[in-house]
Amino acid sequence: MDLRVNCSRPLCIGIARRGVGRKGQMKIQQMAFVLVALAIFFALVLIFYLSVRVSNLKDSAVGLKDEETREIVKKIGQSAEFVYTQSDCSGCVDLDKVLILKDRNVYKDFWGFDYLKLEIIEGKDGECNKFNYPNCKTISLVNSTKDFGSVVSGFAPFCYWESEKGGYTRCVLGRIYASGKGIGK
Amino acid sequence: MVKKKGFEMSFGLNKKGFEMSFGLNKKGFEMSFAWLFSIIVGAVIIFLAIYATTKLVVTEKTVQNTETAKEFGILLNPVETGLEESKLATVSFPVETVILNDCSTSGDFGRQGISATSKSNFKADSAGVESGFKNKYIFSENSVDGKDFEIFSKPFKMPFKTADVVFLIGNKKYCFVSPSTDIEEDIRALKFTGIKTADKVSECDKDSEKVCFEFSDRECDTEVYSLSKSVKKSGKTEYYDDEFDNSLLWGAIFASPEIYECQVQRLMKRTGEISLVYLGKTEYLTAKGCSSNLEEGLNGLEDATKKFKNSFDLRAVSPIASELERRNNGLTCKLF
Repeated sequence: MDLRVNCSRPLCIGIARRGVGRKGQMKIQQMAFVLVALAIFFALVLIFYLSVRVSNLKDSAVGLKDEETREIVKKIGQSAEFVYTQSDCSGCVDLDKVLILKDRNVYKDFWGFDYLKLEIIEGKDGECNKFNYPNCKTISLVNSTKDFGSVVSGFAPFCYWESEKGGYTRCVLGRIYASGKGIGK
Repeated sequence: MVKKKGFEMSFGLNKKGFEMSFGLNKKGFEMSFAWLFSIIVGAVIIFLAIYATTKLVVTEKTVQNTETAKEFGILLNPVETGLEESKLATVSFPVETVILNDCSTSGDFGRQGISATSKSNFKADSAGVESGFKNKYIFSENSVDGKDFEIFSKPFKMPFKTADVVFLIGNKKYCFVSPSTDIEEDIRALKFTGIKTADKVSECDKDSEKVCFEFSDRECDTEVYSLSKSVKKSGKTEYYDDEFDNSLLWGAIFASPEIYECQVQRLMKRTGEISLVYLGKTEYLTAKGCSSNLEEGLNGLEDATKKFKNSFDLRAVSPIASELERRNNGLTCKLF
């Protein structure tokens, strides 16, 4: 077979003799365009798929986070730090312990919450501290961010030592609010 | 032109553009550049497509395994006890699954790690992303496999309730040979399917894990001695305390020695922190006329948990906790 073009390199694609290689070059260019378009198309499909998948994944992660928060809130009254142990009262929250827990920084990240607050339903307004307790409304245990997402809540009996009338245990209705840790933006 | 042993290959430009031909002497065939170009680029595209698909499949598996581990961790919450002494539940997976138990003592409370992978694809690196929990304590082997998992929990007290500990049983069958009364009662009450009791080792199934109480035998995989409050397993001795409950005995039987030691250390860390909460509570209540005089005991317990190195140190913590319980029981205004 003869080399029909006098070319110094074996693959001299760019060199086209006038009127001879023009049609061929056109075809090569067409094919190159088609292949580039094909690659871009696949890249777009991949990007679309990934965006949908990431969105689903985020929804799934948020769902799991909410489910976990709900389950923990259901059981938090029975955890060692909350449970009222002086009498057989399953799920009763020891408000005296919770007040102490408020100042224990090691517990800020213990349950994996961004937000954890206890509210005494019929309590007076204001955040509880050692001076106004138990005549107060809320005890905020965790409040690590302003943007904590959806909040799960559950009712529970709150019990504490009442020093009046010789001292007795008083239980009131309360509500626990919690939000799981954010999963990132 | 390249010519070797009758094979011929040539490149050039004809009227249609670039052409390439190769073949056996005169019987060669021509291939235009368009063909060559499309073959090369096509191969690259197919390779990239296969590579991307493989990567996606691996990622999807990782996502699935990560979700499984997280869901499994969430499912452990309802198993935790309230006023009950113990609780049993069964978790079923659609396929054979391996649950990997990881325990770390770092930080204020340590960390419980759970990861999962389907058994058919089980490789050390194929598990999903680990889910971490600071408030869970799972006593099991490093990896537990099965389709149906028996999970049971018991409260751990020292002397007050510190946590709910969870025991995980997968495919493995256990045979308890002449167990103590309280263990036998637990087995009867919870109706385990994975645990069988026997009077002699020879009565056990061959493939079962044989747990022998108060005696040693060549066939025993685990030996429990109540006098020394110790459990011999895999050539290592672990110590437990059953002054307040028998949760650590169960833990020593089911967990691998390293998981057991790690979880006991984590439980001690939490006991120390709860001691400080009760210390704050008694100081607050003393001012309100409900004095307990347990400050010294609580400080002692907290100190003992700080010095805790391994399960043998339970012998130092237990008497302090017992004394604390005795004094608390004598109070009219109880602290816990």
